[in-house]
Amino acid sequence: MMKRFGLAVTAAMALSFGAHAEEIVIGAVYPLTGNAAPVGLDAKAAYEVAADIINSTHAAIPMVMGQGGGLARLGGAKIKLVFADSQNDPQKARAETERLITQEHAIAIIGSYTSATAATISQVTERYELPYMSADNSSPSLNQRGLKWFFRTSPHDEMFSQAMFRFFQDVGVKTGHKVGSVSLFYEDSIFGADSSNVQRKIAGEQKITVAADIKYRANSPSLSAEAQRLKAANADVLMPSSYTSDSILILRAMNEIGYKPKAILAQAAGFQESAFITGAGALAEGAMSRSSFALDAAKSRPAIPTVNALYKAHNNKDMNDNTSRDITALLVLADAINRAGSTKAEDIRVALTQTDIPGSQTIMPWEGVKFDATGQNVKGTPVIQQLVGGAYCTIWPFDVAVADPIWNVGQ
Amino acid sequence: MFETIAQVVLSGLLMGLIYALVAAGLSLIFGLMDLVNFAHGELMMVAMYAVFTLWQMSGLDPFILLPVVAALLFGLGVAIYRLLIARALSVRFNKGMVQIFVTFGLAIFIRGFAQYVYGGEFRSVTGTFLGNRTFNLGDVYLPLPQLAAGLVCLLAFAGLLAISRTEFGRALEATREDREAVALIGIDRDRIFALGWGLGAATVGVAGVMLAGVYYVSPNVGANFALIAYVTVALGGFGSMLGALAAGLLIGEVEAITAALLDPSLKQVGMFAIYLAVLMFRPRGLFGRL
Repeated sequence: MMKRFGLAVTAAMALSFGAHAEEIVIGAVYPLTGNAAPVGLDAKAAYEVAADIINSTHAAIPMVMGQGGGLARLGGAKIKLVFADSQNDPQKARAETERLITQEHAIAIIGSYTSATAATISQVTERYELPYMSADNSSPSLNQRGLKWFFRTSPHDEMFSQAMFRFFQDVGVKTGHKVGSVSLFYEDSIFGADSSNVQRKIAGEQKITVAADIKYRANSPSLSAEAQRLKAANADVLMPSSYTSDSILILRAMNEIGYKPKAILAQAAGFQESAFITGAGALAEGAMSRSSFALDAAKSRPAIPTVNALYKAHNNKDMNDNTSRDITALLVLADAINRAGSTKAEDIRVALTQTDIPGSQTIMPWEGVKFDATGQNVKGTPVIQQLVGGAYCTIWPFDVAVADPIWNVGQ
Repeated sequence: MFETIAQVVLSGLLMGLIYALVAAGLSLIFGLMDLVNFAHGELMMVAMYAVFTLWQMSGLDPFILLPVVAALLFGLGVAIYRLLIARALSVRFNKGMVQIFVTFGLAIFIRGFAQYVYGGEFRSVTGTFLGNRTFNLGDVYLPLPQLAAGLVCLLAFAGLLAISRTEFGRALEATREDREAVALIGIDRDRIFALGWGLGAATVGVAGVMLAGVYYVSPNVGANFALIAYVTVALGGFGSMLGALAAGLLIGEVEAITAALLDPSLKQVGMFAIYLAVLMFRPRGLFGRL
């Protein structure tokens, strides 16, 4: 009799413990098959590392949610990730988001690499009234649709371009190299058009001359005529918005006609790819690019080495622009759920709006994380990096920089 | 001003020579057997990957690897003819469709295969003897890799013309003129076709090797050049080597001049305008026969 009672108590305790240490389901929608799958699979690995940091017991990592052991205010509840494959198709992303919410009982969605899929996912979360955490979508229009449940930790493309022009001003003050003219060089796509439109607008506001404004056909057999025009314009800074293949080709084409730009500042894309760095080789030396992540900023962001080691052990590569943003987004979301102390959507949303994390408590070189009324993180300040000896070094903002900017490389 | 004009003309000339050589192989096969090879750009891509792989393994300069890759492509061309084209030619129904889809399917297969083996990354042959070097005449710059590519293109054309003077060349010509009659005088038509495919593939292989030193290599690289190759062949006249050379140079120049005068994103407009004009007034192409 006593024995049976004991068993019942144990069972009851187990049940109640089970109820306490419950699992918090977060749905992640990414392209896991198809052309964009390499990026999606890296993102999946990044989220697994972030969830492990949140859930497991380990020595504290100096960042938000770095103490481990689950969500303290929810009795040590664990984050459980459920991944869904969007195949990089907005309609499939919509259907998969619905499935994650209705069948997997996700209490928040995170995603999604391409802005086109983020647009449909965030419509679904708005309808079901659950938070959508945009980790790595960069289209400026996403947070301007009056959505209540949309939150984005990452900077968007307009913020990136604004940062580039602020960098010009700062460099002018610091080194005396004033930027009086820029050449815009961009491919004939939405990416190229959006990027150059913002750059043209800001240049106009700051009275910087646009010496050349060149739209080119992506994947052309030759870019020598374009290089010729850039040479004739010889602006203080060349600002390319190009993917990998054309980035390699334009550097070679400029070299072929004996032109070395005074400075190059790229809208990331091709310039951040390792295929570009090996392909362009010495020609790329000194090129600058914007980035939202700086692997070399360990001095001001002490969590980077530990997190990168965990990621590298899991996925056999260093964190990059995308995967670092993914890890950060999940940590920020988990922090909000923890502060809410509740799994109710409205409580989490309110906690998200109250988020105010200093940059030093993240792995990002940002000022911090704080969302405005549209759900955009206003403290997500990008960095500018420069290729030195085949690796990108952070050169701006000066407080997270590890090297001084070098102007007129090779002249 | 003079320097700018000279630079534009020279850049167009060097690019035109590459366009011409890419088109030459296509024109040769078309002229020989009235068959459009839709996998032509992919053959060029195979040559680029071949030189990239050999360069990576041996560290030898693409220049030294040129004959090896040309021989490889010759073998590949012969194999494609024997395994696919000869069979496609022997069908009785829907002959035209079969001939289109056999090379079209081959193109998709080669592209997928390259993606499977090498992944979608862009590769580059770097650190070559001529790589990134330029030679300047005053303010006019001549990139050495392109200059070398141009010279090799001219040599390849000279080679093709020399071949046309040989016994084999005359057999090619005769087969082109009347493929039924040659069988009666003891020419093995099948063998001539196979050698024609080998020669066509080797020609585009040479272009691919020269291009590998200045361009990037990826599974889709052939598509960037194939469209221009088709226009070049149509403009120069189907089957004419001299036509391919003239049309390639013309397209290179028109492209360079359009890009210099108009918006660079419109640079292909000039070449298609010329093509349409030629099509209207001289449908058989500049050097085509009636």
